[in-house]
Amino acid sequence: MVLTDLHKGETAVVVRLAVEHEALKQRLLHLGVKEGKMVRVKAAMPFGGPVMVEVDGQAIGLRRKEASSIEVK
Amino acid sequence: MSYVALFGNPNTGKTSLFNCLTGSYEYVGNWSGVTVEKKVGVLRQHGVPVVDLPGIYSLQPLSRDEGVATDFLLTEPCSAIVNIVDASQLQRNLHLTVQLLEFGRPLIIALNMVDVAEKRGIKIDAVKLSRHLGVPVVPVIARTGKGAKELERAILSAKDGHHSRMFIDYGVEVERAIRRIAEQLPDDVPGDKRWMALQFLEGNERLAAYLRDHFDLSPLLAIRKETEQALGCQAAKHIYETRDRWISETIAAAAIEFKPKPLTLTEKVDAVVTNRYVGLPIFLALMYIVFMLTFNWLGTPLADQLDTFFSGPLTDWLSRLLDWAGASPFIEALVLDGIVAGVGGVLVFVPQIFILFFFISLLEDSGYMARVAMVMDRLMEAIGLNGKAFIPMIIGFGCNVPGVMAARTIEQPKERLLTMLLLPFMSCSARLPVYALFAGTFFIHEQALVVFSLYVLGIVVALGLAKLFSSTVFKNESSLFVIELPPYRVPQALTLWRSTWEKGKGFVRKAGTFIFGGSVAIWLLTYVGPHGVGVPMDDSLLAAIGGLIAPLLAPLGFGAWQAGAALITGFLAKEVVVSTMNIIYHVREANGLEQMIAAHFTPLSALSFMVFVLLYTPCLATVATIRKETGSWKWTLLSIGIALTVAYMISFLVYQVGMMFHFQ
Ligand SMILES: Nc1nc2c(ncn2[C@@H]2O[C@H](COP(=O)(O)OP(=O)(O)O)[C@@H](O)[C@H]2O)c(=O)[nH]1
Ligand SMILES: [Mg+2]
Repeated sequence: MVLTDLHKGETAVVVRLAVEHEALKQRLLHLGVKEGKMVRVKAAMPFGGPVMVEVDGQAIGLRRKEASSIEVK
Repeated sequence: MSYVALFGNPNTGKTSLFNCLTGSYEYVGNWSGVTVEKKVGVLRQHGVPVVDLPGIYSLQPLSRDEGVATDFLLTEPCSAIVNIVDASQLQRNLHLTVQLLEFGRPLIIALNMVDVAEKRGIKIDAVKLSRHLGVPVVPVIARTGKGAKELERAILSAKDGHHSRMFIDYGVEVERAIRRIAEQLPDDVPGDKRWMALQFLEGNERLAAYLRDHFDLSPLLAIRKETEQALGCQAAKHIYETRDRWISETIAAAAIEFKPKPLTLTEKVDAVVTNRYVGLPIFLALMYIVFMLTFNWLGTPLADQLDTFFSGPLTDWLSRLLDWAGASPFIEALVLDGIVAGVGGVLVFVPQIFILFFFISLLEDSGYMARVAMVMDRLMEAIGLNGKAFIPMIIGFGCNVPGVMAARTIEQPKERLLTMLLLPFMSCSARLPVYALFAGTFFIHEQALVVFSLYVLGIVVALGLAKLFSSTVFKNESSLFVIELPPYRVPQALTLWRSTWEKGKGFVRKAGTFIFGGSVAIWLLTYVGPHGVGVPMDDSLLAAIGGLIAPLLAPLGFGAWQAGAALITGFLAKEVVVSTMNIIYHVREANGLEQMIAAHFTPLSALSFMVFVLLYTPCLATVATIRKETGSWKWTLLSIGIALTVAYMISFLVYQVGMMFHFQ
């Protein structure tokens, strides 16, 4: 399952960050999105816009494409 | 000169703390990327220089503003580092702390946002944390200044002293690599050799570039490769995970209470403003309200009152004063027709400009800004930019100069460049007097609608050009977007006033300097002619200069020398367009200007003129900033060229199409 499969309000644990873009991956790590962390989907923008997730009480906006390369369970 | 440097994650209160410590008023806002360059101040009463830096998550920069912080460590001496740590986000903040501790300079931790942390159910024992990290930890609330005195004392006593003995064991392979790299490093590298070796292993590009200037990197690269083979993963990953474990242990040891819960206010507001369906409409509605308040409901009545005051009592009073002092007619004309007309003509818009700045500050300080970036990202992606580019654009409505600077936080160079080039189409507050004057004269009832359309036109042109560029010149460049959404904060009256004033001050100051000088010069140009002094306006030098470009402007509907002269002088600063018009058409009585303008323009040519002023060229200060930020004259000139071309084309269209339909 990937992050974008979650519905609004659902929580899951990150299993793998398969983000291609190295810089982006670093940024996500530093924001606390890493293996073993709980993430919650807070909102999704319309027309395939960004999703808003929360990790450790920190809300983050990221694009659908990147969110779909974050594997969760 | 050796600095005390403030380091910390973005949006942790570094600048707030800097302002407390140094008594400055640097720009504070509730989103990441407010501070984009280093700012220097002095610790009150002690003469110690302090420097505020852009926020970073690690010492490996991803964007231009973050590079500033890393470069500072590599190239400038610092006597101490103050690391501002957000107590409500300890885990991620301490990653930077560890890297700074390894750097090996005296370090003091300012444990900030303890109020927010408490609301989130987190309480930290500063003494225990201090013991664990081996450095002083001072709890503060930068927003109110609580704890600043204690922090100052801690800085003064730690400065130039020892550094922490904190040590993280990264395991056999990495430790061996560190030793081998350190042996190869020359003795004069900045920071600890262990730090440098670790940063190199982590793949810090900035540092690698720095080292490459001094010696051959290939042996170091070989060491990194061997280590990664032995580890079976990237060294960066291994180092990150080791630190992360160490940090978890530290927090477990130092936390008194650690039951994180969400912030209710933020949850509630976000449920509405980032809602799938109403998020965007809410943003547009808010913009509309701000706009109406500025131009219609509140701003215009205030500006009118000020105008009546300037052209009535103030002028009378000044002219009596000048008579009493026995001033010559020349001086009297210079003061009343030049300075009062030119400077006063711009100052009457102070209320509107302050209202606009107030709302921009409110937007900045509340935390909504980052949400707007997210809500707009889908649209921005479609035109080849990202949502973060929307932040400089909003700032650009106040003034284009800080807007161009704010583009530094955009990670992709192409997106940043494009944002800077198109930013001048955002209608800044200096253009507002021009609209107010012309729309107030010709479109009394539709004033708000006309001005609103101009703002929208600016945005549409910028977005249209962005699409054009990103599908031609910048094709194939990837775009990325990730943004932190900070908790909302109820803005404080004092902060809000301060940041409104800091923005508005520039406008008032410009009126006192630039526009004052400009008005004197322009008036002199109307006073002197090629054939003598005290000539009728139409024979003046200004008429000759304006006349040069007037024929070019005729197809746009405003081919008189007056319009040409106003536009040329408007390159200095856009308000000067109004100053010049005031001086040229000056009649010493209330409403005189509007009547004169009504005689020289038609509603259609006024509309075309406003469109031209909106688009025609970035002002001098913006040009200088674009030059500095792009580092290239080519792009700067391109920005001016595009603006002139687009302005001409659109004004031409407006006027000619209007004529076709006999709209006068
Ligand atoms: N509640 C609270 N807010 C703070 C505190 N310190 C700073 N802020 C707010 O946090 C935001 C970011 O502050 P700023 O100084 O610009 O942070 P910087 O990005 O690290 O320079 C602003 O809205 C401040 O008003 C604090 O101790 N408590
Ligand atoms: Mg700052």
